Formats: sequence, C-alpha cells, structure tokens
Amino acid sequence: MNKLLLAALVSGALSVPAFAADYAIVAPAAPGGGWDQTARTMQEALTAEGISGNVQVTNVPGAGGTIGLAQFVNQENGNPNALIVGGYVMVGAILTNASPVTLAEVTPIARLTGEAIGVVVPASSDIQSVDDLVAKLKENTGAVSWAGGSAGGADHITAGLIAKAVGLDPTQVNYIAYSGGGEALAAILGGQVTVGVSGISEFASQIEAGELRLLAVSTDTRVPGFDAPTLQEAGVDTAVQNWRMIAAAPGLSDEQVAAINADIEAMVNSATWKTALETKGWVNTYLAGDAFEAQLAADIAATEAILKDIGLVQ
Amino acid sequence: MSAGAPNHTRRPDGAALVIAAILAAIAIVIFWQTSQMRVPPVQQRVGPTVFPYIVATGLALLSVGTLISALRRGFPARSKDDYGPIAWIIAGLVAQILLLSSAGFSIATGVLFAFTAKGFGRGPLWQTIPIGIVFAFIVWFLFARGLQLSLPRGPFERLLTTGAF
Amino acid sequence: METFDLLAQGLLAAMQVQNLVYALIGVTLGTAVGVLPGIGPALTVALLLPVTYRLDPAGSLIMFAGIYYGGMYGGSTTSILLNTPGESASIVTALEGNKMARKGRGGPALATAAIGSFVAGLIATLGLAFIAPTVVKFALSFGPADYFALMVLAFVTVSAAFGDSALRGLTALFIGLGLGLIGIDLQTGQTRLAFAIPDLLDGIEVTTLAVAMFAIGETLKTAADREQVDAQVMAVKGSVWMTADDWKRSWASWLRGTFIGFPIGAMPAGGADVASFLSYSAEKSFAKNPEEFGHGAIEGVAGPEAANNASAAGTLVPLLTLGLPTTATAAIMLAGFQQFGLQPGPLLFTNNASLVWALIASLLVANFMLLVLNLPLIGLWVKLLTIPKPWLYGGILVFATLGTLGANGAMSMGIGPVRISFELVLLLAFGILGYLLRRFGYPIAPVVVGLILGPMAEQQLRRALAISQGDPGILVHSPISIVLYVVAIIAVGLPLIMRLRGRGAVLGQLATDED
Repeated sequence: MNKLLLAALVSGALSVPAFAADYAIVAPAAPGGGWDQTARTMQEALTAEGISGNVQVTNVPGAGGTIGLAQFVNQENGNPNALIVGGYVMVGAILTNASPVTLAEVTPIARLTGEAIGVVVPASSDIQSVDDLVAKLKENTGAVSWAGGSAGGADHITAGLIAKAVGLDPTQVNYIAYSGGGEALAAILGGQVTVGVSGISEFASQIEAGELRLLAVSTDTRVPGFDAPTLQEAGVDTAVQNWRMIAAAPGLSDEQVAAINADIEAMVNSATWKTALETKGWVNTYLAGDAFEAQLAADIAATEAILKDIGLVQ
Repeated sequence: MSAGAPNHTRRPDGAALVIAAILAAIAIVIFWQTSQMRVPPVQQRVGPTVFPYIVATGLALLSVGTLISALRRGFPARSKDDYGPIAWIIAGLVAQILLLSSAGFSIATGVLFAFTAKGFGRGPLWQTIPIGIVFAFIVWFLFARGLQLSLPRGPFERLLTTGAF
Repeated sequence: METFDLLAQGLLAAMQVQNLVYALIGVTLGTAVGVLPGIGPALTVALLLPVTYRLDPAGSLIMFAGIYYGGMYGGSTTSILLNTPGESASIVTALEGNKMARKGRGGPALATAAIGSFVAGLIATLGLAFIAPTVVKFALSFGPADYFALMVLAFVTVSAAFGDSALRGLTALFIGLGLGLIGIDLQTGQTRLAFAIPDLLDGIEVTTLAVAMFAIGETLKTAADREQVDAQVMAVKGSVWMTADDWKRSWASWLRGTFIGFPIGAMPAGGADVASFLSYSAEKSFAKNPEEFGHGAIEGVAGPEAANNASAAGTLVPLLTLGLPTTATAAIMLAGFQQFGLQPGPLLFTNNASLVWALIASLLVANFMLLVLNLPLIGLWVKLLTIPKPWLYGGILVFATLGTLGANGAMSMGIGPVRISFELVLLLAFGILGYLLRRFGYPIAPVVVGLILGPMAEQQLRRALAISQGDPGILVHSPISIVLYVVAIIAVGLPLIMRLRGRGAVLGQLATDED
C-alpha cells in the first residue's frame, strides 16, 4: 500500500509538464470558500477539457478579497496568464475598506455564476411573509435583528435595500454580523435573531427540512427549487444578486483579452464545467464582454449608494 | 518577589523601566489611533471604539504596575544571555525572508538552517549551507510536489525538477 | 435499536483488511505531517485531503478519518517534547508536557496524551453517533450573551496559566488583547490599528503568533543560554511508560477533559482551544497538588489532550447535523465531505445514512489505529530529543517557516525590487517578542489566549447588546449565562478560600505572588 502511495506522490510530481503554467488563478480567499471553490473548479475544467495544459491556484485571503486584488494588480500587470476570481462581495469590500485598488484596475472577463440572497426566519417565528416582516420593521426598525455575513457584504446590503425600499432609514437596520454564513445560520436556528439574510445555498438544507421559512429571494427572478417569491413580487421593490466573476490582469492587448475570453467561453460551455455547477448547486449566469462591463458599472454605482445610505461609507 | 535576586545595588531595574515605557507607548498608540476612527452612524450600542479604549486603559495601568515593580526590583533574576547565537538565528530568518522570492524555497531555507546550526555552534557555513539546501529541497519536494503546497520555486527547484532554469 | 444496527454495519465495512490498511496509512500520514512543528491540523487535513481522492469512497472516507485524528494528535508530540505547538489547541499541552519532558518524563507525557486522546475520541465519537441531535440543540441554545459568559469564564480561568506573577500574566494577556484589536471590525467594517498595511486588515493569524511565540521564541531562548546548548539531554529518566501512579492521576482527567471538550467543540463559536484552556484550569482546581502545576503535572497534559480530541469529534456534531463548519479544519472537511457525496445538514442522517455511519465507524477505527500506531512509537519520538541541537532547532525553524508559508505565504510586500512575505516578517517579529517575554519572566500562553478570546468576547458582547438594543440585562437573562457566571465566581473564589483555610506553605506562596 505504501508503494501505491509513493507511486501517487511520484506521479503527482512528474505529471507537471516542463512548460510554464498556462494560467495562474488567484483565489482571493481562504481554501474552502466560494471563490476558492470557483478557482479550483475552473482549474479542473480548464485542464480536463484540454483548454489549458496547466492551471495553478493560489490563495491570497483577506479583507473581502481586496488584499488579493491589490496584490494581483501590483504584480501581474501585462501578464496574459494571470486570472483572478472575484465577485459582488469585493465591490462592497473595496468601498468599505477604502481599498486603494479597485475593480477598474483589472480587466473584467466574465460573470460566471450567481446566487440569490435568501431572507429566512426560523420555523417557529410568527413572521409568515414579507408583509409581516415589513410591518414589524415599520413598527420598530431597531427591534428587528438581522443576522448575516460581515458588515458591508451582500447580506448587509440586502437588509439595507429592503429597509430603503419600504421607506425606512437604512442606518436604523439592526444588523448583526457573523463571520461566515455558518455562524449566522446557528444564530437564526437558535432563535437568537429575528431574521436571517445570506446566500440561499447556505440555507437550502434547513429550508428543505422545514427548520427555516424562506420569505423571499433577492434576485429579479424566482430560484428554481425554492418555493418563495422574489422581493419585487412580495412588494419590496429591490433586487440584488451575489455573483462571481473572473478577471484578467491590467495592461493587456485586445488580442490577449480576446484569447482569454475564448478560453473562458469554451470552459463555460464544457461538460466538465456544467456537471460541476450542477453538483455544487451553482447557477450559470455567464455574461461577458460589454454587457458584463455595463452590469459591473451599474452594480458598483448602486452598491456605493446603498453603503452610503447604511452609513458604512462616507 | 521570591525569585528577585538581590543585586548589589538597589537601583531600579533598567530593563523593567523600558518595558513600562513600551507598554505606555502601546497604550498611547491605541488611544490615538482609536480616537482617529470614524464611527459609522449605524445601530450599534457598543461601537468599534469601546474595546480598544478598554485595552489601552488596561495597558496603561499595567505600565504603572510595571513601573512600581521596577522601582521595587520585583522582576525575577535573569539568566546571562548570549546575544551572538540570537544574532545568527535572526540573521538566518531575515536572509530567508529576503531570498525566498528570488532564490526559491530550498536555497533560502537552507541558509536559515545553516545559520541556526551556526547559532548552536555547528559550522562551518560552507559545509552546513549545502546540507541545509539539500534538506530544504527534500522538504520542498515532498510538500510542494507531493502535497501541492504552494511554496516559492527558484532556479534550484526548476533545475532539479524540470532540467531547465 | 436501529442505530446499533447501522453502526455495526458500518464497523463491519470499516474492518475489512483493505480498509484497515487505509486507516493505518491515513493515521500515519496525518501523524507524520501533524507532528512537524508549526504545521497544525487544519493545514495537515488540507494538504492530505487530495491524497484520499484517489481511492474509492469507502476507502477515502476511512483514510480521511485517519488523517483527521492523526493530524489532531500529531501536534501534541512536538508540543510536549520541544515546546513548539503547531496550533492553538496544543498550547496548554506544552505548558505541563514540556516541563515533564525536561525532567525525562516525556514518555509518560506522550503516553497519557495518546491514551487520553483515544479515550476521549472513543467517548466523543460514540456521543456523535448517539446524542448528536441533543447536543446540537444545546449548542444552538447558546446566544451571544451566553457565549460572552463563557468567554468571561475562560478569561477568569486563564489565570491558571499565569505562572508566578499576576502582573506579568496580565501584561501578557493584554498584549494578546491588543493584537486582537488589529484588523477590520466585523460589525461595522471599520479598520482598526492596521496602520495602512493591507496584510493587517484581516488581523493577526493565531497560528502565526503561536508558532512564532513558541517555536521561534523557544529556539532563540535556548540558543542564548550557553548552559542549555551544552546540556546533555536526558531523553528518558525512569520508564518510558506510565507508572501506576500516572494511571491513577490520569484517568479522571481524561474523562473530565472529554466532558468539557465534546460540548464545547460542538458549539458554533467554541473550538478546541477554548476547550483545552477550560480543561487545564479545571485540572488545576481539581488537582490534589496544584502546586505541581507549572512544573510538569501529568493531569495538565491528560485533561487538555483529551479535551482537544473530544472537541475534534464535537466539531463534527454541528458539521454533520447542521452543515456548520465551526473551525478552519471543519471548513476544509466540509469540502472533503462534498467530494464523498455527503451533504451535511439536518437531513443527512436520513438521506445518507449508510455513508454517515461508515464515517462514524471509520472514526472509531481510525481512533483505535492511532493508539496502535502511537504507543509503540513513543520510544522513538522521545529520541527526537537526542538529535544534536544544531540540527534539531534548524529543522524546527525550517518547518515553522514552511507551515507559515504554506498557510499564508503570499509575497505581499516589497522592499525595493525584492518581494517578501509579510507573514514571515510577522513570524520573525513575534518570535523576537516571544524571546523577550521569556527573558523577562513573562508567560507566553496568555498572549495567544488573549488573541483568541479577546475578539470572540468583544463580538459576542456587542452582538448581545445590539440584539437587546442596548439593554445590559440581556447578559444575565438566560439560565446558561447565570450558571457560567456562577462557575466563574467559584473558579476565582474556591482557590482563595482553600488558601485561606490555612495551608501555610500555600499562604506563603500567595504572599510572594503579589507584586
């Protein structure tokens, strides 16, 4: 058996070809998180489909991805082999952390996946619908406590947008930040807070088991597999999506950008990628080119506005 | 303090005075930095500045306590430390930090290994540095190649694993 | 009972020769990597997880269980022998364990750690199998106010690790609390004390501080002391095995450690480190001879090591029943489970019954393999101490820097054209701090404890007061928090009362303590 293991180690060591890596993907988060999984799934798909001979993933965790982004911009200028995973959380983090480097300094390639934010209450809660929640908020905004991820992230923004859309002061939202969706989920299940907001996949198994009641989803269309209205359908006129994207280094030529675009498009259409999305429960929201750049600009503007309303950004 | 060895004089303990001053300085830095913070107008009863002020106050009080202890010579006797070996080891760590990105893991860490050995009295460096590099390379190979740990590569690693620089 | 049937089936599957071999390989690999100074269980599991992907599901699951328990256990070996814990949960093991090793009692220290880990792993894994739903209900009932009370209890009991001076112990604790302030405030997103250095935005990594303080600090202190450099190490004095007295003193500590570690590991904001701190102070309060603590009391190894391992199994409770990863190791394991097709959550036990029971059976088998592997190896491990010091400490620094680089090694800073790793700079700076603290008689453990507990206590207090909209009454609103405060008061009061009851020698010691 030790022989088998040794063989595995040695083959792992020798299977790397002698050429430079075709792509080096930076996952600006710790191993295990969403961005890391996106990067590693890309690595798998790009190599399995023969789009790229060798893909390396490096993790640069910290501060909502802004540490990885800053390092990427500083070190990879003009490198057509360097890619970075990012997402909507980065948009908020750049603003709240007053990051010196912004998304304007990378070359956005494409949006890959997206996820709705779910608004949930424990099964035992007396809140049955979004209307009940809005009524409670209007009665006493501060008495409704919201649990979600870190301050200024997509979850916090969703809570602020809901308050704003029903005509309340977003600074009065009593948002309790937890490090990571897991800890927030425990607080919601334990009935420590009134309502929870987080990526819908974090809640999926609890909703299925009947432990949590899903009041609404944050996207502008319903999410297949979940029996809940969108916020807009429930009478709260706002929509937000937590998306993930891939970007390339600054300072690339048009041909280089086109080549990367072609590789990513081939990956998105590959069987490996599609199967991976299915097993992980991710929704394909592939959007590239000008359409993506326009959406990115709109998201950044909207996020800055709501973060100012919440009071996190001056 | 039972361990406080009666020195020849009753002069205050100089090192302890320095420690008291450092603690006071840290307290001041925390106070000053915290007072510069912008507190967002969000719904927070205990804001982000409360704990820093508590910690700074605690450090300030401990600084006073250390000062009193220094004047009373309340610190335990200190061994006579040899700074030569410490300098070697710190130099090894600094060399590793500076060499890693250009020379790669094995050479940088080999130097650290040899300098540490030197700190413990084993030399000469022209013998221990090659030993260290070989040892570090084996470690690099097991972890970087066998277990996919991301460790910096340099010319040495590239030469030995791919045959090219 | 259906549960027994399922477990029996799982055990039968796990006991096949092939699977036993996989378990042994897993335990060996986990121990071998986990034993390296500076490389903790999270990194060990992350590194070795891919190895399991090459096997069939049953085989990979069992090898994975072996790696998990092996990695959790491996750290204690270097903690005890070399005073270089690779992660926060082995810090208190080093306190007493290393003192024992220096007296030539490294063998018994390793043995009590190994057997304690086995006992705790066995009880806690059975607990995971049979009472997970109950435990998870209890863990979920902990609100922020209750967590804050738990942190207060932990702070109070940390004084057990203060050594002989309250002033220096508190100073070390406050240095840790100060370091804990650094970074982005979770509740408001505001940056505190980061001095415009991007790498500080996420705060100080506990592992980096622990490895620096212990591994680097210890190396510097040893090198500076001529007598220590030249001293011939006595690897073994007396028996390498535990004596009858060692057994008598250990067994109750193993059980206490297990019962502290399992529920705390199951709490979403608990963790092995908090469990090991509480266990250490519990052992000190229950000990017949508390004055032996700080000089190599075997209870101080037996309890925390059992607590550490029990909490490793406890972590699996919220992970399996709620899909909640509560530690870095658990987060990596969650990714691993998904590879096996396990979807942790409330429906796991109904939807994936056979896989879950295979996992639990694998954990039991791995736990047993750990004992089988490690008891005979103790004689070999203690020989680590006979490696000539230049090579031994050179090796320690190689692995300490390797672990730091592997976990967080981005070349994120530049001095002119040279790119350097900020994390290694921190490692060096904290290593020097660790040396200076040792030099001037400050205890090391409270610094790390402050960094771990400080931010937890702050966040929980602020959450509690935000939920109550500023009403401090919430802090003593639940029975759980009241009980915890009472225990905290007893923990402070009892030793005082015992001392006042006229044990002359102890009173004398008390008098020398204040300064």
